[in-house]
This record gives sequence, C-alpha cells and structure tokens, in this order.
Amino acid sequence: MSLFSNPKIKKLQKLSKRLRKHILDINYYSQSSHLGGPLSSIDLINTVYFSDLFSFSDSQPSAKDDRFILSAGHLCPALYAVLSVKNYFSVSKLKTYSQFKSILQGHVSTDVPGVSYSSGSLGQGLSFATGLALADKIDHKKKFTICLTSDAEHQEGQIWEAVTFANKYNLNNLINIVDNNKYQIDGAVDDIMPLEDLGAKYIHFGWSVKEVNGHDFKQILRAFKQATQSIRPTAIIAHTTFAKGVSFMQHDYHYHDLKNLSSKLYQQTVKEISQGL
Amino acid sequence: MKNKTKLASIRQAFGDTLTALASKNKNIFVVSVDLKSSLKLTKFAQKFPHRFIEAGVAENNATGVAAGLAKTGKTVFVASFSCFSPAINWAVIKQSICYNHANVKIVGSHAGLMSGALGATHQMLEDIALMRVLPNMEVFSPADATETAKITTAISHSRRPAYLRLVRPDTPLFFPPKLSFTIGKSHILQLGQDLTIIGHGPILDTALQAQVKLKNKLSLEIINASSIKPLDQKTILHSLKKTGKLIVVEDHQKIGGLGEAIAHLLLESNLSVPFIHLAVDNQFGQSAKDYSKLYQHYDLDLDSLLRAIKKLT
Repeated sequence: MSLFSNPKIKKLQKLSKRLRKHILDINYYSQSSHLGGPLSSIDLINTVYFSDLFSFSDSQPSAKDDRFILSAGHLCPALYAVLSVKNYFSVSKLKTYSQFKSILQGHVSTDVPGVSYSSGSLGQGLSFATGLALADKIDHKKKFTICLTSDAEHQEGQIWEAVTFANKYNLNNLINIVDNNKYQIDGAVDDIMPLEDLGAKYIHFGWSVKEVNGHDFKQILRAFKQATQSIRPTAIIAHTTFAKGVSFMQHDYHYHDLKNLSSKLYQQTVKEISQGL
Repeated sequence: MKNKTKLASIRQAFGDTLTALASKNKNIFVVSVDLKSSLKLTKFAQKFPHRFIEAGVAENNATGVAAGLAKTGKTVFVASFSCFSPAINWAVIKQSICYNHANVKIVGSHAGLMSGALGATHQMLEDIALMRVLPNMEVFSPADATETAKITTAISHSRRPAYLRLVRPDTPLFFPPKLSFTIGKSHILQLGQDLTIIGHGPILDTALQAQVKLKNKLSLEIINASSIKPLDQKTILHSLKKTGKLIVVEDHQKIGGLGEAIAHLLLESNLSVPFIHLAVDNQFGQSAKDYSKLYQHYDLDLDSLLRAIKKLT
C-alpha cells in the first residue's frame, strides 16, 4: 500500500474521529482539560503514531522506537488518547484524567507509558527534543525525534534558542511540528503577540520548512516523508482549526480549556464528531 | 596565617578532575554556554570534541539539551557561572531536569561575594536557596580544590541531578587529602567542646583562623557541611547536643541558605541553642577587587566571626 493510498488516508480519518471522541470523553468525565489545542493537533499526532512513517511499537513502547516529545504539555488529552489506542494502557483509564492517583496527570507526564518527557511549562520541550536528537547523532542511532509545539509557544524565547542550536548541530533527525491554530488562552495569537510568518522565520534560522493543512492527511504525510529525507532539521507549520470538529467551539478561544461541559452539549459534540465536520 | 596557607584554584580542580574522569567514563558530556575557559574546560573540549557541546549564551536551551542528552544514558555537566545557571534557567532545571529525573549536574562558578570586582550582578548569593528547594536536586559547596575534585568525582558516579557551587579566586587548601567525600556526609574539620561553627565553601578558612586566634581559650568544633542537601543531620545534631552553641557562616543570603536549613533541623529536632547566622542579610553585593573588603563590609570576616563567638560564649 503506498504511503498516500486512499485506504490509508481513510484509516487515519476514521481513527481521528475515534481519537476526538476520546478527547471529549477525557474532558467530559474529568470536567476539566484543555480542548481547543488537543482537537486542533490530534490529526498530526495520529499521523505520527499510526502512519507507519515512524516506528512506534504496539502494546508497549520499545527502545527501538522513534521519539515523540509533546512540548505543549497541555495538549496531553490528544497524546493520552493516541497512547491508549496504541494499547499502552487501557482506554477505560482515560476517564480518570487528572484525578487523584490517576497516572493521567493534568499535563503530560512520564507516569503514562509511552510518554518520554513530562511537560507543562511552555518552550522547554524543543530543547529536550534537540538533546535527544543530538545524542542519536553522536551515538549513530537511526532514529527520528518528532516534537510538537504550539504556535503561541513560539512567544517563548527558549524555542528560538533551540532552533538556533539545532541548525548549528545540523540535526536533520529532528522534526518540529507547529500546531498553528492561531489562538491562545486569552485570545487570538495575532492580538496577544503576533508571530508573523513562522515558516519564514524558521527558514532564516537554517531549517527546512513544510507548510501544510494540519487536517489534510495527504499533506501531512507528504511533509513527514520529505522531513525524513531532509538534510536540515524540519519545521512543519501545520495550519489547523482551533477545536476542530465541534461547530460551536471552533475558532472560539474561550474553549482553550473547558470545565463545565453539560451532558446535552457533550451529546451534541459526540454526534458532530462522529459525522465529521 | 593566611600568607603561609597554600592556595589553589577550585575551578581548575573541577576542570582537571572532570577531564580525567571523562578519559575513563565515555558517558560524561559537557554542555557549555561560552564559558569553557573560565570553567577550565578547554582541555576537555580539545580531548573530547564530540562530548563537548557548545550551546552559546543561551542557558535555558543548554539546560534542556543537557536533559535530553541525559535521558539517553549520559552524565551531563552544564558548566556556567552561578549567576546565569541556576539563575536564568531555574524553570528548566525544575521541569526538564528534576521533574524528568535527568542525570544533569549544574556547575555554577563565581558564587558569592568572592567574585569581587565583577559586582552585584555576578555575585550569586541566592543559588543555594534556588537549588535546595527543588525535589530530586542535591546541593554541594566544596571548601577547597581538594574537596572539589572529590565532589566532582562523587557526583559523576551518581545518577541524580546535582548542583555544584564553585568560586572564582584561588582559595586556601585545608581539606585533609585523606578524607574521602560521601554524599550526605559532612566533615568535622576540627573537634571541639565549647561552640560549633558550621559553614560551606572556602569561607570555612575563617573559622580555622578563629581557632588559631583563640588558641587555648576556647575549643571550637568546626564542621564543613559541603553536602548541603542531603544534609548530614546526624553529625550536626550530635555536635550541637555537645556544644549547645551554633554559628553558621556562609557566603550566601541568609534566606534559603545553609543556616536556614540547620535552624529548621534544630527546631524539628526539639533542640534549642543560641544561634548566630553570619551571611548576607537581604542585600545585593558590590564591586571590590579584594573580596576581603566585602567580607568586612557584610560582616563575614574574621573580626565579625570573633565578635559572634564572644557574644555566644
């Protein structure tokens, strides 16, 4: 089956519906959690783990696996959903998100099988991913390190320190996916602190850049494929829809996180997601 | 007295020891932030170019990169000035190193008023407070070059995060070469009966000078608490039960320093003793080519210590 075959794309699309349902369940049963970002980034994380472009073992993580670092730790409902579908832990655990003694911490944590970096304070994960990628180069390990950052996270100076560093050490085994959903906790990125042309910035810092629609699996797959063949570190600027899949949440920054999803609205969102927006 | 004492560089001891250790241990890495010559790591960089990572003047990223390297099984030393690391990068040390259990050693040189001419921005007086408070972090402040070599070796064998505090000038050699260093153990530099002086770093030399001055009038017990965290509670409590009087001396802020840690230990142990804490009291430092002028100004010199001893005895 070719990388971009229709059955493969359909499989990813179908899986994303299931993963979005899990993200909503996490939110509904915990009556907390972030939503806008997990729903905008889920197609990207889905593709990392389930497209066969990268190596992530089933049932339990293995030392041979490629590496995925979720720098934007608040997007963890998306990663937890993916790892449960990978069978790293039971899907039923998702309902325990952020509860006392649950392994599913409110921000991404290595307590969860398959998570290799605990995060929550923005701007740090790309440096950590850079360290892993550098170690793999030094140790002659053929692995990819894929980092996922948010667009607003690029307001943190440390991101640009890491971008500068990855260029110096020529880390073409490093891929940074930017979930460019254009919103952050208090409003639109353009209002809070405009980032201008992120792709152009990365190019000036010496990286390869691929710009994609972050919900179009064909585009995502093509960008990943090209990133694995790049002679430089690659930034994939994924233009996404904030809270993708739920009509009344999309493009509304108030759904950055949600603490009171009613039973009625939950039913509505589940229905919308199953239909695919 | 001071003129007769042999001086040696704590930074040189660190750089030479780490370079020697790295010859045997291929897992030892250095992440530098443009201060390799000052941290005496030029030889390390020449001998092990693939294990010397230069991150430029960017402490946050350097610390995150170190954590990533460490999680692949390496022992990583981040070498900088203490006023930058652990100051600028504290949040990265907390999350990327301590919370993620990364085997990274933060080496902060130029600590305390001893940085002298460099002035307040470079006289790090808050590093111990910043590092003591972090879960999983251990904190060490060697008294001289001999002990620096021993602590550097000890932390290179440990898999836990650590902070190693170094100073700029050459300082008196007084740590007995025969003594080994064990994490969590302090050393009694001198046994005594009348009063306990506890400190860390080269300023302990002042306590030894005080004993010389007081000759047979008083017998001081002088404890080197270079393992600030974990603290050697047993040795400290044992000494204070014996002498019943305490002076803690340190080139650091009073707030968050060794003195506060010991005061807390005493209260928790229901042990009440007269206590004077000689440390910088909620102030910034300032420039002076000769740091002894600063020690006089901030009441950390021999006269200040003798006054404190007199007050308690």
